[in-house]
Amino acid sequence: MAQTTVKIYTPTTPIWCPGCGDFGVLASLKKALSDLQIKSKDTVIVGGIGCSGSIHNNLECYGIHSLHGRLLPTAVGVKLANPQLTVIAAGGDGDGYAIGAGHFLHTLKKNPSIIYIVMQNGTYGLTKGQPSPTAQVGYEGNVDLPFDAILTALSIPSTTFIARGFSANQAQLTDLMKKAISHSNSNEGMGFLEVLSPCVTYNDTYKEWREQVYDLSTEKDYNPHNRLLAFTRVSEITNQGKIPTGLVYSGRVKSLEENTLSKEKGPLALQDISLESNLPKYEQILNDFR
Amino acid sequence: MATTLEQQKPAEPMLKQDICIMIGGQGGDGTLTVVNLLGSCFRNIGLNVYDARNVLSRIRGGHADGVIRASTEQVLSTGDQVDVLVAFDEEAVQAAVNELAPDASIIFDSSKGQLSEKFGGMGLRVVNAPLGNMAASKLRRNIFKNTIAFAILGRLLGLEDDLLIEVLRSRYERRGKEALDANMQALSLGSDLAKQNNIRSIYKIPHSEKSNKILATGNEAVAYGFLVGGGRFFVGYPITPATDIMEWLAPRISKLGGVVKQAEDELAVINMGIGAAYAGARVMVATSGPGQSLMTEGVGHAGEAELPIVVVECQRVGPSTGEPTKNEQSDLNHVVYGSHGEFPRLVIAPGSAAECFQLTVDALNLAETYQLPVFLLLDQALCQNSESILPFNLKSIKVERGKLLSQSDLEKIQTYKRYQFSEDGISPRSVPSLEGGQSQVTGNEHNEYGLTSVDTTNRLRMMSKRMKKVELAKNELPRGNNFGRKDAKIGIIGFGSTLGPILESMEQLKSKNIGVRFQQIRTIFPLLVEDLIEFSDPLDKIFVVENNYQGQLAKMIRSALGRNERIESITKFDGTSFKPREITNAISTSIQGKLEMGV
Ligand SMILES: Cc1ncc(C[n+]2csc(CCOP(=O)(O)OP(=O)(O)O)c2C)c(N)n1
Ligand code: SF4
Ligand SMILES: [Mg+2]
Repeated sequence: MAQTTVKIYTPTTPIWCPGCGDFGVLASLKKALSDLQIKSKDTVIVGGIGCSGSIHNNLECYGIHSLHGRLLPTAVGVKLANPQLTVIAAGGDGDGYAIGAGHFLHTLKKNPSIIYIVMQNGTYGLTKGQPSPTAQVGYEGNVDLPFDAILTALSIPSTTFIARGFSANQAQLTDLMKKAISHSNSNEGMGFLEVLSPCVTYNDTYKEWREQVYDLSTEKDYNPHNRLLAFTRVSEITNQGKIPTGLVYSGRVKSLEENTLSKEKGPLALQDISLESNLPKYEQILNDFR
Repeated sequence: MATTLEQQKPAEPMLKQDICIMIGGQGGDGTLTVVNLLGSCFRNIGLNVYDARNVLSRIRGGHADGVIRASTEQVLSTGDQVDVLVAFDEEAVQAAVNELAPDASIIFDSSKGQLSEKFGGMGLRVVNAPLGNMAASKLRRNIFKNTIAFAILGRLLGLEDDLLIEVLRSRYERRGKEALDANMQALSLGSDLAKQNNIRSIYKIPHSEKSNKILATGNEAVAYGFLVGGGRFFVGYPITPATDIMEWLAPRISKLGGVVKQAEDELAVINMGIGAAYAGARVMVATSGPGQSLMTEGVGHAGEAELPIVVVECQRVGPSTGEPTKNEQSDLNHVVYGSHGEFPRLVIAPGSAAECFQLTVDALNLAETYQLPVFLLLDQALCQNSESILPFNLKSIKVERGKLLSQSDLEKIQTYKRYQFSEDGISPRSVPSLEGGQSQVTGNEHNEYGLTSVDTTNRLRMMSKRMKKVELAKNELPRGNNFGRKDAKIGIIGFGSTLGPILESMEQLKSKNIGVRFQQIRTIFPLLVEDLIEFSDPLDKIFVVENNYQGQLAKMIRSALGRNERIESITKFDGTSFKPREITNAISTSIQGKLEMGV
């Protein structure tokens, strides 16, 4: 809740169909933010375009609705401008893995300390059920094997946090969200969390997914800090027709802000940019024209 | 190896208040180095310079040339004629032949043979000198031919040895002893060669005290204006002719706590910019036509979401990949009309490096005051040609942030609505981290809180709230600059880099007794129609000068003013800038035609 007397907007009730997996994502996200006591004034949700990409309207904090596929660059811009914020990008699988696929790869590569939640439902919900990049072969005429974002993320050397949850498993999902948020808020880089979030209207996968999910944390030997082993094990499980969930990988690579931002000056969005405060530096730079 | 040098028609040194020199060869020949060295010489003796580079979009090979003009007056074009040409091959002579003054001098690299006979008999003075061979045999590297040429050029122009040495030293000192020594050797090889072969000064260049003027390209001026205007977040993707802005900023912005980020593509550029602007940073992005095409959806998004962002569009020959290094002004329609839907935007067009600086600061202030995207429209010539100008005036700079809220402003508000309806259409803007300013920002149509809405009444109000900001901004937009005689009956309108050629053409027209007025337009959208009316009312004829095929500006002016019969287009779209005489000829021919027909 806001700490001042200023009245702000009332979050809207979700627009989703009853039973949509995105409800579970919203519930977990709310719980994670409140358990971690993250201030609403410091939280920015960057929504994509899709059914999933309306989630920012359902929480009380700062929200920016980006263009279709452009939520990641938007979120990176917010984070670089003010690294003290908790920046959570949240959108669909079409948004992230199709039209935004280039940004997906490059944002993983940059490793900014933002959280990225993908609500994966194997379809384009909002445009009424066309195959998305994660659609199964045979779904609405789809002939391509589905895209595996977890394996893709594992194959990028600068990823630092990769996890998959299931909206029907609230305990696990909330735990993963908290871990992802804590990872990013310690400025350790991008917390990537794919959530199996069924579209009951166009691709109801609850039943299959309940049977297929496989919690990696139940494996005593699974080591989420070894990229190579994680890749091998996740591939094996996937090849057996199961869907690995849980913390897949976490590691340490310098974050984008560590690599880019000046440490002394504070968030560039909040700097004093008046002429008076910067004049000596401006005059010094002017000498480069002489 | 015998050195053959000949100098035809020796002449007494001729006083030149205004001289233009071209250096041509293959990419990688170091032609631009000679331009830079000459520029330093001229500036050291108190002259104004203006230079232009004509290179291909490849790293090595292909014809490349640089032109530098020096003058006792301020000049903003390379003028009509080349007085001296240094040609490292015959292709360079061929490329320049139409631009050479009737009595021009050519220093020709005769390593592969003397300049062919076909250029004889044109009255040109030709110095054949085996520059490349000499560099290779005496200094082991062909590239030193440019410094040898510089020495001979210095002699031809009557520049003192001390001046040449000083300039060469200050350029190569930083690059280590080896580079400096080799270049000094090349310089003395060149001056020995000139002495032995009795090359005398043809020109006498006026000297005065070194002035306090600086040298800047439009791109550099934009980049500096961005810093001084409080810009702290720049995001880009390399593209000619815009890349210089990013490269100039990168090592400097960090001194101010800012960031330059190179993104994966222009879709990321505009959206990253939008994210940073939303968070409260002053943001600029820069691109050329192809990148602008990718950014178009994002610009509309910024318009709908009411976010401040400055987009620099450095035009080049288009469409598609076009001619990346060549000059054109054909993206007017694109920046004025581009995008689906309707949203408020401003398009501002500076015409000189000094204006690039000032208008960048203005653009940043306008973007934030009116919470909308602002285009700064440049063209390749303006972006990349260098001008001598007075140092940028920092004292005149103001950073205006409009209705950006602070925490204490917010405390005084009862209910915060990001898109609150207000009399002027501008709503108070909170940024993340402020308590009580939590709100939604979106490119969906929205209500005052930023929540999605398709309510018809709300849509009407929100549209007019946004659109009327353009009307409101009009009072503050950069007005046109007027030049020439108030009583003239003939007018010229132009924008961007045509400024220099038009100003010179006016002088030429004056000497033909054709009096003209000229309005250099600096706001392309919205056109400041009242100013245009005031300018054009007394005129019988208005020539709109622009570097594109369709006469895009002329069409916009016609649709704003009517008066179709009085407006005539002068266009050029061959990839090069106007020469003053081309404008002069077009205007005098048109007028003459009318006179003859008795109109
Ligand atoms: C540039 C662009 N192309 C197409 C669309 C139309 N569109 C809106 S949502 C969407 C797909 C959404 O699918 P997904 O991202 O998986 O989200 P979901 O609705 O499934 O949650 C598309 C194609 C658009 N808004 N913008
Ligand atoms: S269409 Fe599918 S994804 Fe969209 S709200 Fe309904 S159930 Fe959810
Ligand atoms: Mg989807």
